[in-house]
Amino acid sequence: MSSKNGTKVRLDAPPDKLRVRIRRREKTDSPQYDEVFEIPYRRNLNVISVLMDIRKNPVTADGKETTPPVWDMNCLEQVCGICTMVINGRVRQSCSALIDDLLVESGGNEIRLEPMSKFPNVRDLKVDRSPMFDHLKKVHAWVELDGYHDLGAGPHTSQSMQAERYAYSRCMTCGCCLEACPQYFEDNYIGPQAIGQVRLFNMHPTGQMDREERLDAMMDDDGIANCGNSQNCVQVCPMNIPLTRAIYETNREVTVHGLFGWLKK
Amino acid sequence: MAGKLSTKFILRKLHQITGIVPLGIFFAVHMFTNAKAMNGPEVFNDAVADIHHLPFLLLIEIFGIFLPLAYHSVYGLFITREARNNISQYGYGRNWLYVFQRVSGIFLFVFLLFHLLHFRWGLFASIGLTGTAVAGNADQAFSIVAGDFQNLAVLAFYVFGVFATAWHLGYGIFLFAVDWGLVIGERAQKATLAICAAVAFGLFAAGTNAAFSFVRPCGLLPQVFCEQPAESVPALRSEEF
Repeated sequence: MSSKNGTKVRLDAPPDKLRVRIRRREKTDSPQYDEVFEIPYRRNLNVISVLMDIRKNPVTADGKETTPPVWDMNCLEQVCGICTMVINGRVRQSCSALIDDLLVESGGNEIRLEPMSKFPNVRDLKVDRSPMFDHLKKVHAWVELDGYHDLGAGPHTSQSMQAERYAYSRCMTCGCCLEACPQYFEDNYIGPQAIGQVRLFNMHPTGQMDREERLDAMMDDDGIANCGNSQNCVQVCPMNIPLTRAIYETNREVTVHGLFGWLKK
Repeated sequence: MAGKLSTKFILRKLHQITGIVPLGIFFAVHMFTNAKAMNGPEVFNDAVADIHHLPFLLLIEIFGIFLPLAYHSVYGLFITREARNNISQYGYGRNWLYVFQRVSGIFLFVFLLFHLLHFRWGLFASIGLTGTAVAGNADQAFSIVAGDFQNLAVLAFYVFGVFATAWHLGYGIFLFAVDWGLVIGERAQKATLAICAAVAFGLFAAGTNAAFSFVRPCGLLPQVFCEQPAESVPALRSEEF
C-alpha cells in the first residue's frame, strides 16, 4: 500500500518520534557502522526531509554528537536518479519515499537507510555510480555524428516504434535495476541498464549504424548471457522501463547475428 | 556478420542447449521407458533389453548423456556460484524461480550422482542397496529396482529427484526460450511459463507413477490404465454376436 495516482496514504495514529537507522561509513574503505537518530514526526515527511532534519542537529538517539550524514540529491521529483538508496531493504529514490507509506508498510516507527551495495561507497549514503557511465561507453550508447553540416530530415519512424523507444529513453541511470539484480556485481555482468540503452539506440534509424559494435559488447564476457532471468530489474525500475523486453529483444538479435551469423559466410 | 563471441558467452549458450537437446530429451525418454513398468516386470525388462540392443549404444551414452551431463552440471555449479541471492529483499515470483533453478541444480548434482552409482553401476551394496547394476542385467531390471524401492526412504528420494528434475527441465525450457530470444513479450512469457509448468507436471506425474509401479501394479493409477493380464480378459462367446 503506498501513495500514488492522487491517493495518499496517511497514518491514523502517527508516532511522536520517528527512528531512523542509517548505515554509515566515514570514508572509502573504512568500516561501515549503524547509527540511530530520532526526530519528531510531522506530516508529509519524506526520506530527504528526514535526512535534512537530522543534518540540522546531528545527535544520535543515545545523545551522542556525530557528523551529519552524507547523501546525494538533486531534482527531488524522481527524474534524476541521484538520491537512490536502499530504504527498508528495498532500493528506490529517497525523494519519492514518503514516511507514512514506509511506516504503514513496516508497521513500526523506524526506517532503515543504507547505501546501494553494488556500487563503490564514497561516504555514508553516497555511492559512486560511474560504473554505469562506463557501461554506456562500452555499448556505444549514443548516435554517431560525422560533422556539423546539415544532414536534412532523418528517416521516418512509426508511432509504435517511437512509443517503444520513448520507454527506454526514460532511463535516468539511477542504478535500481543493478542493485536488485542477483547476477550483477563487480565486472560479472553489464546489467539491464546498459541493455535498455542498447535497445534504444539499435532501434534508432541512425543509431543502427553502430549496431554490430553494441551486439559485440553484448556477447562479451560480462554480456547479456549473464542474465539470470530473476526479473527483479523490471520490478524495481522507478521509470517502468520494460527492461526484460529489452533483454529478450536483444537476445534475439544476438542469437540471429552472433550465434547464427556464421551461417551467412 | 558473426560478431566476436566471448568464451563465457559460448559456455553459457552451450549450457542452455545441452540442458534441452540431449538432457531434456533423454529425461523425457527415460520417464517414458520407466512408465512401461506399469505393465509389469516382463514389459519393463523387455524395454531395458531394447535399450541394450540399440546400435552405437556406447557412443550415445558417452556423447548423448555423460559428457553433456557432466558439462551441464559442473558449469551449472559455476553459474550458481555467481548468484547473489536477494530473495529476502525482493521476494518476487520470478526471483523465487531464479532461486529454485539454482537450488534444484545443486540438489540434482547430488541426486544424479547417487542415481548413477546406484542403478547404473550398483555400487551401494555396502549400505543395503543393490549390488547389481540395472545396466547389463535387463532380465533382472524390474526386480533390482523393486527390491530397493521396498525401502520407502529410497522411493521417496527418487520421487523427490523426479520432481526436482522435472521442474528444473520445465523452467529450463522457459529460460531457453527467453535467453535465445524466442519469447519476448510479457503475455508470451506467461503463456510459455504455463506450458513449461504443464510439461514439468506431466513428466513428474509420469515419473512418479512409474516409480510406484515397482511396488504396486500400475503404480498409483487404477488398473484400467494398464495392460490387463491375459487370463483376466473374458473370452468372447459367439452367441453374443
